[in-house]
Amino acid sequence: MQKLRAEGSQFTDRGTVDYVIVGVGSAGGVLLQRLARAGFKVLGLEAGPFWDTEKDWLSDEAGSNKLYWEDLRITGGVNPISLGANNSGKGVGGGSVHWAAFTPRLHPSDFQVYSLDGVGTNWPISYEDLKPYYELLELEMPVSGPAWFPWGDPHGYAYGPHPLGEVGDVLVRGCTKLGIRVCAGGPVAILAGSHDDRPHCIYRGYCIQGCKVGAKASTLITHVPDALRHGAEIRDYSMASRIALGPNNRVEGVFYFDREGTERFQRAKAVIVAGYAIETPRLLLNSACPEYPMGLANSSDTVGRYLMVQAGNVILGRFRNLVRMYKAPPAHALTEEFYETDPKRDFARGFAIQTVGPLPIAFGKQMMAAMGAWGWGLRRVMMDYNHWSALGLLGEILPWHANRVTLAKETDQFGIPVAHVHFNLFDNDKKLIEFGKNKVMEVMSAAGAEQVVQEQRYAHLVGAARMGADPGTSVVDKFGRTHDVPNLFICDGSIMPTQGSANPGLTIQALAARTADYLIMQGERIFRSDLRELTAPTPRVDLSPAGTFRKGIPRPHASWIFSRRIAHAKA
Amino acid sequence: MSTRPSHPPRDTDTHLPMEPVAQPGYYPDYDVISQQNAWDDATRKVVLSRLQSRPSLQFFNPAEAEMMLLVCDHIIPQDDRDADHRIEIIPVIDERLHKKRTAGYRYETMPPDDEAYRLFLQALDLMSRHNHGKQFSGLSWREQELILQSINKGKPLEGAGEVWLRLPVHQIWTLFVGDCITAYYQHPWSWNEIGFGGPAYPRAYIRLERGEAEPWERDENRYDWEAPPESVSDLDELSHHDHFPHLTKGGVHD
Repeated sequence: MQKLRAEGSQFTDRGTVDYVIVGVGSAGGVLLQRLARAGFKVLGLEAGPFWDTEKDWLSDEAGSNKLYWEDLRITGGVNPISLGANNSGKGVGGGSVHWAAFTPRLHPSDFQVYSLDGVGTNWPISYEDLKPYYELLELEMPVSGPAWFPWGDPHGYAYGPHPLGEVGDVLVRGCTKLGIRVCAGGPVAILAGSHDDRPHCIYRGYCIQGCKVGAKASTLITHVPDALRHGAEIRDYSMASRIALGPNNRVEGVFYFDREGTERFQRAKAVIVAGYAIETPRLLLNSACPEYPMGLANSSDTVGRYLMVQAGNVILGRFRNLVRMYKAPPAHALTEEFYETDPKRDFARGFAIQTVGPLPIAFGKQMMAAMGAWGWGLRRVMMDYNHWSALGLLGEILPWHANRVTLAKETDQFGIPVAHVHFNLFDNDKKLIEFGKNKVMEVMSAAGAEQVVQEQRYAHLVGAARMGADPGTSVVDKFGRTHDVPNLFICDGSIMPTQGSANPGLTIQALAARTADYLIMQGERIFRSDLRELTAPTPRVDLSPAGTFRKGIPRPHASWIFSRRIAHAKA
Repeated sequence: MSTRPSHPPRDTDTHLPMEPVAQPGYYPDYDVISQQNAWDDATRKVVLSRLQSRPSLQFFNPAEAEMMLLVCDHIIPQDDRDADHRIEIIPVIDERLHKKRTAGYRYETMPPDDEAYRLFLQALDLMSRHNHGKQFSGLSWREQELILQSINKGKPLEGAGEVWLRLPVHQIWTLFVGDCITAYYQHPWSWNEIGFGGPAYPRAYIRLERGEAEPWERDENRYDWEAPPESVSDLDELSHHDHFPHLTKGGVHD
């Protein structure tokens, strides 16, 4: 088992660091690691704790609430989204501590949604720009998965897939009956075999309660140890309250509250905000100043806008035989057969179908929502917990101007105004959810379920500080640099302009590695010059955490081999 | 545990009340707690602490606590459990509200959780007075059940209209029932009842497919039962309603 340790403080408030990163989660962990390896003085401010996983984490559902962002937020709109445990982490590792760890890539089409479908928007980069970083991060986590993944840009995984749990078997059975291609055993950032100082998965099912086994990747165990070995510092229980803008339109550092509740200031040559799609816009809006009265880096009035969640309906099927869905990782089989726009359907874009594995409390709440269960009915359906299987819809909801994060009148324990989240579904979203939900129910029935019910809900959070080429309609450029302030960057899920039907974790980490390469290539110019260089960096393969790059068995020709075989079979 | 009128489930064949037992459910001799030596220390400590009785209530006053007891007996009835094996629900909710622990968000249409709970109890009394001229605790068990059923359906009986303006029906119902579910199904006795394997670190699960039992788990041994006739909460009561639009509107569940 890995021994994790937060290093003592080495930078002081009075000194100036090169980079302050606000939030040490999926993106922050990767940035910290890359920048430290490249020799920068880099400091991570994390609102939550630096975990001692053996002591702090549990094999328990109700006892794991401290992993989630439980500070107040207000949520509203016509279709208010739930936050907290559903999509918001706190503590070093952030969301990667409680994610289920599905790691599909985006499809090439995701980067040009507007060009292809006339909805949403285009990314300022293409799939090919991100592909080298997908390949790197899949080794750094690393990702277990099938030898052949047929959707999007077809590829295979270097690390072997997981054995099937019964929920995965249900998905494979249902899809096979309906002639839908399906893959199993991944892609998921969970070790099927041990890897350096990390043991393999033991199939205990508590992935989203934090993997105290150490088999599931979180940046806490994949990137932070390497970052600390290379001189990075993390200050935990440090809640950023405001970014300070100095003369010459450059930021000077970050105000934050330490664990005693004292406000402190850390000076930095550049600041990277990596607080995810609620806290990142909240911090920028709370950093409004005379030069940027609508919020720092918000001259476009885009900060907080185009917030997205994915449709995350849970479809539950009761089987005559026992399922015991608490065994095996919730994330272990999926199909992306419906991912792309299909002109035969009356909506743009698509969805994935994935395994989920709710534990008893989550299942009880789903039964309350899906069936209206309470009283004896609730007791009865819970006695049948072991007969139920669950599948998740993961559907693309488009970015809408009206879906946004603003500041509420309420304040948190530090007196900082909290986020207000406004969310509505629009026509395309509703049609997609209706079609997708019915398709998953069909798969569940085809697998042999005698009763099928569903709960409408949402998963993940992205957008709210999107990247784009036009400073009038986006917050950051294609490398995460804010259009307004040359030494202020944003790098986390909030910069994603659209989201596809892929779980965002891998993409967030890949974007962070790319931004790191850009910053390293630019070097001192970031700290001194206002020049905005837009040439892409050459991907650095020498900055991976020790023992990850060139490990595993690569499958460089998998797509070529398989496409040839398919061509032969057709001929 | 005070003596309360009992409304146990019935035997499906004889329709006679079933004797309360230490462990209802279809895994009669399954004991997850017997596996505690295979669990890690941190988990064992937290799970076993749930077997201890909780400290006295700090959020609910005695009158509220009495009413909570009545309501929770409808939301999660436990009349199939003997007096020594009932799972305490109210102390878990009380602790959360006292410590002001939230789920990490609040609907813009909802008051803070502590206020929401008190308003909900008020609403129950208002509905009871309006329809029966008595407070909720004075109603028959059946009358209480019907009031709660009307809220579950999203169409509360009349009497508390003003409260519902400040307390959206489906949101408070989801919060309340959700808290009851969290309290009951975190208790290892409930894991025995439903055959849940519980913690498996560091030992691991070894049989992943076809719902096979681990060597230390138990196979299912079903029996038929029906809810007491005065209850309206069993699943067949729900089957009259294909959809629960107030509950499936989206985003109201964590």
